Amino acid sequence: MMLGLALTTLRHRRAGFVGAFVALFCAAALVCGCGTLLVTGLTGAVRPERYAAAPIVVTGDPEVHVLVDKGKGKTKEKAKPNAGRAWVPADLAERIAALPSVERVATEVTFPALLPGGADSGSWGHGWESAPLAGLTLAAGRAPAAPDEVVVDAGTAARAHLSPGSGTAVRTPSGTLPVRVVGVTAQGFDSQSAVFFGTDRARQLAGHQGLVSAVGVFPAAPSAAADVRALLAGASAGPAAVVRTGEDRGRVEFPDAANAQVRLVSMGAVLGGTALLVALLIVVGTFGLSIQQRQREIAVLRAVAATGRQVRKMIGGEALLVGLAAGALGAVAGLPLGGWLHGRFVALGVIPANLPAVLSPFPALVAAAATLLAGWAAARISARRTAAVKPVEALGEAELKPPQLGAARIAFGVLAAAGAVVLTALLTVLHADQSSTPVCFLAVLLWCTAFALLGPVLARVGTAVLGLPMRASRVGGHLAFHNLRAGAHRLASVVTPLTLLIAMACAILFSQTTTDRAAAAQRERGNAADFVVGPRVPASAAEAVAAVPGVRTVTRVLHTQVRDGLTRRSVQGVSPERLTDTLDLGVTAGDLGRLAEGTAAAADGLGYRLGQHVRLTLADGTAAEVTVVALYSRGLGFGDLTLAHGLVAAHVDVPLDDELLVRGVDLSRPALAAALHGSPGSGCSTTLRRRLRRTGPARRSATSCWG
Amino acid sequence: MSDAITLDAVSKVYGKGRGAVAALREVTVRLPGGGFTAVMGPSGSGKSTFLHCAAGLDRPTAGTVRLGGTDLSGLSETKLTELRRERAGFVFQSFNLISSLTVEQNVTLPLRLAGRRADAGKLAALIRRVGLQERTGHRPGQLSGGQQQRVAVARALVSEPDVVFADEPTGALDTMTAREVLTLLRQTVDELGQTIVMVTHDPVAASYADEVLFLADGRVADTMSGPTAAKVADRMIRLGAWNR
Repeated sequence: MMLGLALTTLRHRRAGFVGAFVALFCAAALVCGCGTLLVTGLTGAVRPERYAAAPIVVTGDPEVHVLVDKGKGKTKEKAKPNAGRAWVPADLAERIAALPSVERVATEVTFPALLPGGADSGSWGHGWESAPLAGLTLAAGRAPAAPDEVVVDAGTAARAHLSPGSGTAVRTPSGTLPVRVVGVTAQGFDSQSAVFFGTDRARQLAGHQGLVSAVGVFPAAPSAAADVRALLAGASAGPAAVVRTGEDRGRVEFPDAANAQVRLVSMGAVLGGTALLVALLIVVGTFGLSIQQRQREIAVLRAVAATGRQVRKMIGGEALLVGLAAGALGAVAGLPLGGWLHGRFVALGVIPANLPAVLSPFPALVAAAATLLAGWAAARISARRTAAVKPVEALGEAELKPPQLGAARIAFGVLAAAGAVVLTALLTVLHADQSSTPVCFLAVLLWCTAFALLGPVLARVGTAVLGLPMRASRVGGHLAFHNLRAGAHRLASVVTPLTLLIAMACAILFSQTTTDRAAAAQRERGNAADFVVGPRVPASAAEAVAAVPGVRTVTRVLHTQVRDGLTRRSVQGVSPERLTDTLDLGVTAGDLGRLAEGTAAAADGLGYRLGQHVRLTLADGTAAEVTVVALYSRGLGFGDLTLAHGLVAAHVDVPLDDELLVRGVDLSRPALAAALHGSPGSGCSTTLRRRLRRTGPARRSATSCWG
Repeated sequence: MSDAITLDAVSKVYGKGRGAVAALREVTVRLPGGGFTAVMGPSGSGKSTFLHCAAGLDRPTAGTVRLGGTDLSGLSETKLTELRRERAGFVFQSFNLISSLTVEQNVTLPLRLAGRRADAGKLAALIRRVGLQERTGHRPGQLSGGQQQRVAVARALVSEPDVVFADEPTGALDTMTAREVLTLLRQTVDELGQTIVMVTHDPVAASYADEVLFLADGRVADTMSGPTAAKVADRMIRLGAWNR
């Protein structure tokens, strides 16, 4: 019954509901779009590229497994992905090949191989023996034979303008090598560049003595996968290996994809949730406004015969109808929006292109339902006020006054504001990222609550202040001022959702950039080097720089991630020799001079203490135990843990240094540049940056590209 | 016939302390069923407050109100609303129709709110009575003031209430249409036996009633049976403070 009345009202007062409709429509579209990202993150699969032709792929276990005590004697195994690839023994390939259900196998090694002018990452070197894994065939030229001969995939050849016979340079962990292209494959990769060396040369360049990064299995019988699993289960000791088939192969080929998926899930959840919250507030505002405008009509209904409940039901019904229409249309519009968002994120490089968007009906259904619920809840919140509408008011001709702000509302508003002030004050003394993030969002939430509760009061104060210049205009401004002051409640219902929208958007957008700035400031303050070289510097370049006369210290810096139990820790691997020459981590306890392969320095506020033995899982799954010998304060800029370069370098996918920090006496740019040039056939994109020490953090000298 | 409304020592005070204003002071009145009563008085005499209290739209500060035999003082807001729905009809000065509903929907609104269905025959007869059978599908915005007020009268009558309360029903109308509406109200009393209580300050409107109740300064100053416009006007001049 009340729904019929609501429908008639909607038809008649279309304009009044356009605001709510648009807000809910946008919310539904955004929730559906973000839901699509979320589902892609949760269930999406990365398409394999290099392993596309091998039905079964065997690699090292890419996850760390921890038994979690769930209490009452129950334990549960939890797994989290490591940052890098895990390698398996090369002889495993022969044992798999010996299985009767296996036709043949192909092994692969992987190491960074950067081309001049090419991307900083996603460019890998392999042995030509791994070509069958992707089903590669030569379109031109021949297979590599000599150590300086390479084959490149068709995509890379096109991007770098390479063809059989052309020469170029490849930067690898072993230095920058001059090579000749002897062949180009018929197929190309979308998400990576592949440079194939001869099999033996590749193993030599990849390091990892006696290990391979993957074994591709071509089955002769359907039981092959099960047979390989049985073989691995029987193989006692040695590093664990896993068997991947179908879409799971993409996950071992792209260890980064797991991170991208986590990013998608968190981004989708945050964006969608915020959109819904903002829509809720806007709808509360617009419905509140429409109810204020219809107060007489509602009073008539009350006088004629409607109970307060019936009026609330009618308003709820209007919201349901608006929500239903807006939710359904918005959810449908959200599906292409999800695809578009996915495309933008791919274009921005946030997620890999070979992680296709998963279109499923669930986000659309959830978006429609959430919008419906949000609209209904918003209407019920604004309809509460109708209880205050006295039927008598319908009979009088006097101007209808809005109800006064309740004392409880003002009290809670003041309480929320006080809490917000305290938390904001607390934030100025909190410096650890882990503790301040939740406090930050709580503070934003409290400020928003305070604004929402005290909105009308603030609108009145704001009008009074802004009204002063307005009254300079004798007629127009004067009238506008008095109108605004009288309609403070109307103003508040517009201002409040706007305030919240802006606050939320700022909190989400700027918390990341603020953290980044703070980290950059810490890095700048803690950097005592005269020159910085980077990124992606091979070891040979570090040696060349160290040999320049006058250079006292060259600190190699390599960033990676490890897991302490299941917790991810950001790590900088540094060469420990004369570390204090180039880095000032802000040591608060212990001695950074004791940093060696079996020790670690940890940032404050993470729960580490001096002398503690910490078991870590390195990026490739290797276990390591270190003793904490120092604690430092600049963890935001330099990472949770600082480990010895030698400990981490052998266990990362890209063993190229992110930075070389150079300190010495009377160093000159030409001398250092010459040393870097001296490394044979040097590539580009490594820069040499002079730092003006102790003259403030912000000043930087010119950046030069060489090569 | 029994009393449709009884007010027993009803007082209504607005505000508190020194700013308190007494709108009604111990008013005791019995209005018989089937009668047409006009409540008259100068501005501020408490005639609107009288109507609100008698109709259960407002609660008196002291005293009891009975509507069709039911004591209103103990009822909750919802019960009061339901009672109004069953026993009272309202006609306002400013018509107060729902602009988004058609004539017929406006007329049947009290029934819909009560969850009842309109009897098609009775509804047609009612709409014929107010002379709107050609306009049932129109919206209030497409009607003249007099027509809108006739819709309001039909809405007040549709639930066959014990009492119809009319608050200055001709206040916003010209004399021609005012006479139409007053004639319509008179007919419902004569032909249907409807009880009507009408607040007005217009002696001509009051002359349509069976009995006139004069209020001054919150008290019943006088009553008059068989009023004419001239007698009412004459009595009005000598009300309250003007009398001294």
